[in-house]
Amino acid sequence: MIGDSGSDNSSARGRVFSVAIVVIFAVLMGRLVQLQLIDTSEYTGESRTNAMRETRVLAARGTIMDRNGVVLVDNEPAYSVLLTPRYFDRDNLTRLAELIALEQEDLQQRIDGAAKWSQYLPSPILHRVPFDRLARLLEQLDTLPGVSYEATQKRRYPSRVRAAHILGYVREIADRDLAKLRDDGYRAGDMMGQRGIERVRETALRGNMGSTFRLRNVHGQDVSSFRDGADDVASVGGRALRLTIDANLQALAESLFVGKRGAAVALDPASGEILALVSMPDFDLGEFTRQIGSERWAALNTGANKPLFNRATQSMLMPGSTWKPMIAMIALQAGVISPTEQFYCPGYHPVGGGRIFRCMHVHGNVNVSMAVQESCNTFFFEMMRRIDVNTFARYTREFGFGTRIETDLTEEETGQIPDSTYLNRTEPGWRVGTVMSLGVGQGPLGVTPLQLARYTAAIGSRGMLYTPHLVQQIADPVTGVLESPERPDGVRVSIDPGNVDLVRVAMRRVMELGTGRWLGVPGIDSGGKTGTAQNNRGEDDSVFIMFAPFDQPRIALAVVVENAGFGGTAAGPIASLMAEQYLTGMVTREYLVRQMLALESDPLPVAE
Amino acid sequence: MRSWYRNLDYPTILLWMALVGIGLVAIYSTTHGPAAEFLPVSVRSNFYRQAAWIGICLTGMVLALFLPVRFYQKAAYFIYAASVLSLVAALVFGREINGAKSWLFIGPVSLQVSELAKVGTVLGIAQLAAGRRGTTSDLRFAATMIAMVMLPGILVVLQNDAGTALVFVGLIPVLLFWSGVPYPILLLLLAPAFAGYLSIVYLPAAIGFAIVFGLFLWWLTGDRRMGFLGVGLTAATVGVVATALFRVLQPHQVARILSFTDPSAKEFRHGVGFHLVQSLAAIGSGGLFGKGFMQGTQTQGRYIPEQSTDFIFSVIGEEFGFLGAGLVIVLFALLLVRLVHLGGEMKHPFGLMVAAGAVGIYLIHIIVNIGMATAVLPVIGIPLPFLSYGGSALLAHTALLAIVLSLNMHRDDLSIYGFYR
Repeated sequence: MIGDSGSDNSSARGRVFSVAIVVIFAVLMGRLVQLQLIDTSEYTGESRTNAMRETRVLAARGTIMDRNGVVLVDNEPAYSVLLTPRYFDRDNLTRLAELIALEQEDLQQRIDGAAKWSQYLPSPILHRVPFDRLARLLEQLDTLPGVSYEATQKRRYPSRVRAAHILGYVREIADRDLAKLRDDGYRAGDMMGQRGIERVRETALRGNMGSTFRLRNVHGQDVSSFRDGADDVASVGGRALRLTIDANLQALAESLFVGKRGAAVALDPASGEILALVSMPDFDLGEFTRQIGSERWAALNTGANKPLFNRATQSMLMPGSTWKPMIAMIALQAGVISPTEQFYCPGYHPVGGGRIFRCMHVHGNVNVSMAVQESCNTFFFEMMRRIDVNTFARYTREFGFGTRIETDLTEEETGQIPDSTYLNRTEPGWRVGTVMSLGVGQGPLGVTPLQLARYTAAIGSRGMLYTPHLVQQIADPVTGVLESPERPDGVRVSIDPGNVDLVRVAMRRVMELGTGRWLGVPGIDSGGKTGTAQNNRGEDDSVFIMFAPFDQPRIALAVVVENAGFGGTAAGPIASLMAEQYLTGMVTREYLVRQMLALESDPLPVAE
Repeated sequence: MRSWYRNLDYPTILLWMALVGIGLVAIYSTTHGPAAEFLPVSVRSNFYRQAAWIGICLTGMVLALFLPVRFYQKAAYFIYAASVLSLVAALVFGREINGAKSWLFIGPVSLQVSELAKVGTVLGIAQLAAGRRGTTSDLRFAATMIAMVMLPGILVVLQNDAGTALVFVGLIPVLLFWSGVPYPILLLLLAPAFAGYLSIVYLPAAIGFAIVFGLFLWWLTGDRRMGFLGVGLTAATVGVVATALFRVLQPHQVARILSFTDPSAKEFRHGVGFHLVQSLAAIGSGGLFGKGFMQGTQTQGRYIPEQSTDFIFSVIGEEFGFLGAGLVIVLFALLLVRLVHLGGEMKHPFGLMVAAGAVGIYLIHIIVNIGMATAVLPVIGIPLPFLSYGGSALLAHTALLAIVLSLNMHRDDLSIYGFYR
């Protein structure tokens, strides 16, 4: 079986063996060609995802100021204590627990949780550590291996303004946002503006997060920079915002609203700048820089008072008598009445036999001006009887009702303005009686306080309608110089100036002689209109609109106090005090302030 | 007087130096890279230890060159016996490292005796072949040889070092080949091994191979019985492997064997497959030119397990790319072909069998190691000769090389009929 291993045979075998060696090595070489030359890009990707870690470089979020430069929102450092389980000496447990004021068992649990995630990577075991406590920890950090800390930032609200609905808050990005915004550089755990200006101006405020790419080893430990930082991106800080809000005005309005439900909006009639916007009840933004329990969260969202609900832009209310200047302008413009024509008020409107369309008084013969001044229901029932409902809808929409204002506020309702299409759908066979109540701001009508303020501003500015907005200036990302963003120009409504003027004068007479005669700002002429709006919550809502000074208005206001009765008793004084504050820089009528602080909205009916 | 070194084969020495040098560079990268501070101190000193071992090996090589052929022939059986005894000693007194009880500690030096036993086995077999007389029956010779290989092999299995044991088993067909066993018989021995491998990768292919192999053997020998024997043996192996995989072995053992077929599969990715995924990522991402010395993210991030020992090839593949890894393969091929040539040049069974044994041992190591690193073979932890970190293996592999060189250099002293005749 085994042949003679003579030289000839063995040299032949040597050749065979050498060929076999070459073949075997050719196979190995072929495998190398496949891995390193053909499929190399696939493995390159795999090795990159393995070994590279991107560290975000925090960009300081932009500061938010009021119109005078008062800082409303800025950042303060927040500290987290980090612990690397692998390097932590368990003998130090008691000391560490004492230093950061945690129960030992609690700390132990947190360490165990961190260890489960990674033995080798620092995990945050305590967030939002106050600086004094951190300082005590820092003193002993040398002797606490495996313990470190991380500085981050959180929002700070240094002014006395709450402005919760305007400013909004910052929280960790929600999953649904993350799914949409992944391409914009958002990661899980990133902070993101959730409401108000923080959300609408997120892009400007956030700036650009930077990134450094580091090599990490198989345990996840940081090893060195990747490609010597060639791929690193520097962070760009967020841009500062200057709002249109007047902090003093806002603060006054907020204090006057204590104990009430409702909203107040103050605009600059010459530009649409929102000077103040209050929705009550509100909430403390500072609360959102801390952990919020689920119970508290539910109370904020769905509690009876719904603090998160922005009444200034989301509540749909009937404007009541504050609607009458609108109807007066439409009636004049549509030619259904002349400035001098009179209509007789017997204390009711005859349609429906006098029991449906009632007036507060017997006003006798009134013209349009008197009707506004005395708030005569009969007159405005009659006007709506004469005005085609589609004409009504067209003009009211021109004033911004029934449409969304493209503004800096996220949460906003459209409102509800009925036209014939709408009535045909909701009330088939509707007759003139159906629309007559629209004349006094009742019926199938929904307006937001913001829309009401905008309409008041348009009357004040003699028919110029501006887009309400909150951001006055944005800092240039490079120079930091504040620049005004582009705004749409104001538009003139198609009511003749003469007709607007007539109504403006009537509104001044309201403040001088009519239902608002106690509500003027001392020494300053103004125009206004009270309103008392029926609702389904109980006591009437108190509504008031106002602009001042009369000749060159600098402020237009709409104030609603829910379930507080007549417009002159609650909403009126608040609006008047706000106007005084803004125009004179101070409030002189202490008695009125005290009166307002004492006033409260009726409690909401408790559900059976 | 002609120089004593006139017959010294310089190409072999240069190839050895090139391979050892590349290994040292790769080990340096794994121990002194940018991430070195994260390494345990014991690992960081691996480079210096390996450098020291290379010094020892060089000294040993010079020493080996001066020893006469008579010494090797006289000492062959003694060295074989000492190897077997040291394996027994390791089993009794040895310490366990990485699950294998194959280490003996002599003062500060730890030796993996299973590595050194390879040298003794090759010398023993060579002496057996040299001492063979015309009257010795072929069968008896083959049986003695197989027994002499299997004795240390079984001891190594008992030490729980299956990888090294596989080298001993793999040595048998190589030695039989050089002993002049007819090709059909060799094919009968090798084909079942290949069929077993195929049945791990793709069972139908293995069955197909068994049939084709039987027909081929029938055609080659013209003997129908050989054909049936071929089908029978390969098919039996396929059956045994399949039964082992599906019935006998524990799931974790099966996973270890199967994971190379699809290392990134979910069931393997976090086990043995992790090593292979990382090794493939390292080699594949190296591309043509590699990421550069100490620039390999897989290497520096220590994603490749056992990267200075069993997976050193992945380090070279990542940092030096196809040019580096391909160079290693070419150098190995040149070295092995050269050694075959040196063996033939000696025209003496002892020298030929030492060279054949050395080539066989290198070849098995290279196939298994690079096959493992590139995921064409299951994970079997044996070192890459001359490159992997590890003093015992380096010493053993260099000793074999040095003995071949020495015998070749002194080949004129080898009796054409063998020393004892």
